Amino acid sequence: MGLIRYFDVYRIQLKNNFVREAVYRTNFLTAVTVDLIWMGIEISLFSVLYANTQTLAGWTREQVYFFLGIFFASDALFTILFQRNFWSFSDLVNKGELDILLTKPIHPLFLALTRSMNLTAVFNVVLGFVISYRYAGVAGFAGGWHWLEWAAWLIFGLYAALQMRFFSSIWIFWTDRSWALSRLYYQFFAFATKPDTIYPKAIRYLILTALPFAFIGSVPARALLHGLDSREYLGAAFVLLAFTVVNSILWSWGLRRYQSASS
Amino acid sequence: MIIEVKDIRRSFRSTQKEEGWKGALGLLFRPKYQVHEALKGVSFSIEPGSFNGLIGANGAGKTTLLKILSGLIPPSSGSARVLGYDPFQRNLDFRKKIALVMGQKAQLWWDLPARDAFDLLRAIYEIPDRLYRERLHTLTELLDVQRLLGTQIRRLSLGERMKMELIGAILHWPSVIFLDEPTIGLDVLAAHKLREFLRVFNQKEKATIILTSHNMDDIERLCSRVLILRSGEMIYDGHPQGLTQEGERILRVRFITPPSLDELQKITGLSQQLIQLGELEPDQPEESRPVLFNIKQDQIVSVLQAVISRFQILDMGIEEQSLEKVIQRIYSEEKAGSV
Amino acid sequence: MKLQWRLAALKNGFQDATAYRLEFLFEILGSALVPAAIQCVLWYALFDLGGATQVAGMTYMDFVHYTLVSLLFTQVRGGDHDFELAEMIRSGQLSNYLLRPVGVVEFVYIRGVAPRLFIAGLCLTIGVILAQFFGFSGTRMIGAMFLALMGNIIHYQIGATLATTAFLWEESYSLLMVKNMVVNLLSGELIPLNLFPSSLQWIWKSTPFYLYVFGPTQYALGRWSHTEFLIQIGISFLWILFGWAIIRLTWGAGMKRYVSLGG
Repeated sequence: MGLIRYFDVYRIQLKNNFVREAVYRTNFLTAVTVDLIWMGIEISLFSVLYANTQTLAGWTREQVYFFLGIFFASDALFTILFQRNFWSFSDLVNKGELDILLTKPIHPLFLALTRSMNLTAVFNVVLGFVISYRYAGVAGFAGGWHWLEWAAWLIFGLYAALQMRFFSSIWIFWTDRSWALSRLYYQFFAFATKPDTIYPKAIRYLILTALPFAFIGSVPARALLHGLDSREYLGAAFVLLAFTVVNSILWSWGLRRYQSASS
Repeated sequence: MIIEVKDIRRSFRSTQKEEGWKGALGLLFRPKYQVHEALKGVSFSIEPGSFNGLIGANGAGKTTLLKILSGLIPPSSGSARVLGYDPFQRNLDFRKKIALVMGQKAQLWWDLPARDAFDLLRAIYEIPDRLYRERLHTLTELLDVQRLLGTQIRRLSLGERMKMELIGAILHWPSVIFLDEPTIGLDVLAAHKLREFLRVFNQKEKATIILTSHNMDDIERLCSRVLILRSGEMIYDGHPQGLTQEGERILRVRFITPPSLDELQKITGLSQQLIQLGELEPDQPEESRPVLFNIKQDQIVSVLQAVISRFQILDMGIEEQSLEKVIQRIYSEEKAGSV
Repeated sequence: MKLQWRLAALKNGFQDATAYRLEFLFEILGSALVPAAIQCVLWYALFDLGGATQVAGMTYMDFVHYTLVSLLFTQVRGGDHDFELAEMIRSGQLSNYLLRPVGVVEFVYIRGVAPRLFIAGLCLTIGVILAQFFGFSGTRMIGAMFLALMGNIIHYQIGATLATTAFLWEESYSLLMVKNMVVNLLSGELIPLNLFPSSLQWIWKSTPFYLYVFGPTQYALGRWSHTEFLIQIGISFLWILFGWAIIRLTWGAGMKRYVSLGG
């Protein structure tokens, strides 16, 4: 009963976003082109590097491209579903939008995080897939039904990004300058644009695993190309679970603070 | 009783920051708090189907009270029951039966046409399709906005937008509606339409309504009962007419040779605030400026006698005090009282 | 020349940027250290893990030097005041400036450049000290910073020109984002531009972007002769002149349209 309602609300949100983009043609260019250029630059960066060497920390050119494909697709998925909602996340508190959401008979975060989608970025997911597909064979990816695994890893990366982004935004309850933390998110995010194994251990485990940025592209790529050892699966599951728990605690604390501070 | 409030208090604290680095660090380690009391022990109860006005100057605690009743914030002490629920538990069924409309905060998303925004609310409140269509039809007809349903909300005028907000807020047919300044910023005509709608809706659907407003027209035309808050305390609870009819009158006197206000004060024994100079009509000499006595019905005779015994009167009249004036006086007493 | 409002704008811009000192500091550190760390990791992967000894005629240490020194100039390059211009046009706030006796384009630049000048001074000091330490030339460092500051002007001129698309188009900020990404790659702040395969070198040579970071770094590290440097200074002057002319043209046309539409 409850779940059906959530699906129904989600369906309407999706429809409404479709109406918005189709009828008002909001910003096709911002959604697609900017990301395209970004992809282009990341790829040219690696192609310049590979013009001078055969492998980077054991990754061949095709393997890195395969990784980039997953990374782009996963990131584009985040763009479609969540990016805009996090841009306006601070309005919840600063503009008091949370007041209205809290009176609705549904989880306020569900409403807040499914509000705006960026459907044109679907194009970028497809492009990420195409890049992965193009280099999969030479990179050593088995293909076939394993592409389902590829898709599953996208969801996994999406979930990691969601938890991280939430973690960097939730501080809005405590400080009106939480944008500084959001910037930090994007700065750390830059680390994720390269395969995680090329980093020294400190960065790799601190920024890419404890903060699960590597789950957006590197871990999936390694899992699909070589398989992970079981400890890594456990570690990944643990980190995500920990973030989920910490975030839900922070949310309820934040809500409590919001309610005690407002007049 | 559909709403019952017993001795509600609400205080909140805010941090005070000093300038610069030191201040920022201080805030981290030993924050200084300032405690404000927004509500200081408020009690009342409300009958089902009634239309109630909640007024008070800015900062008197109106919005705080509405937030407590709609479950957004808990009271610091005291208890509130709305529809038999403790609002702050925010029970799912409770949330389905109330509505909160804030004139200064839009709940409908601006870049969608109203029709699509309403569709989302339909899903959230699980309103059956047929019922939804019926209600939408009724409401849009009453408010005369059918032709605007397909227009992006940002392209609507303020009045039209407020109408849409209202429709969105009551599509689920709430039993209790909290309206926080719904007519703010609207022109006279739009405010009138909105009021008319609220009146009809309250009468027909028997929804209980609590409305805050700075517009006394709203209160006078709609509310059968008015609650006045002053600095977090309830200072009046009763009919709006009670405020004006309780014998509040203005005695308006013109003198042939006007005496000073001091003299008048002496012979009538009234306090300084109650005697004022009135407006001078255009092209009239200064001598014909009227003097206004704000007095009770039963004081009229004695004041008149005192005045006539000493001064010559040109003419006089008795006026009913307007609600606006009464409220103004109540608010300004607050200022005088707090100094 | 009215000096007064220019000085006031400079002061105002500086105070504005440093109102949140802690964040200001974090922002500089973050935007400097993260890309530098990523670059150093890439060089490490390229040489130590990839086993190369020389790439494009540069050794591992050459790359590290490049990254560290280029950092000083990357900090001077930035500034998003062109976004501010576009937003002013889009939101109609431009009208407020039309009433004032100052050139909008110049006013916004001076306000925006104030913190950059401060950073430039800081970086120059660090650079000169480092130069003594590592045996580079301090005079070269000063010249290089001068070139970087000219680059800052060119960068803004290009941004201001692109911002005029806001007169016609709501989404012009995406154009500015795309420009920034291209600059990112072609200014040399991600990789030394001589890594480009020789068949592609014309790409960066045909834009002024290399004057922002790559050029100053080359000169500071002694890889450009003094003559080469003087030639590049001349080229920068030509770009600035060209930028000035094109701004007059585009803003003249844009303003005419803006005013005729009623502001």
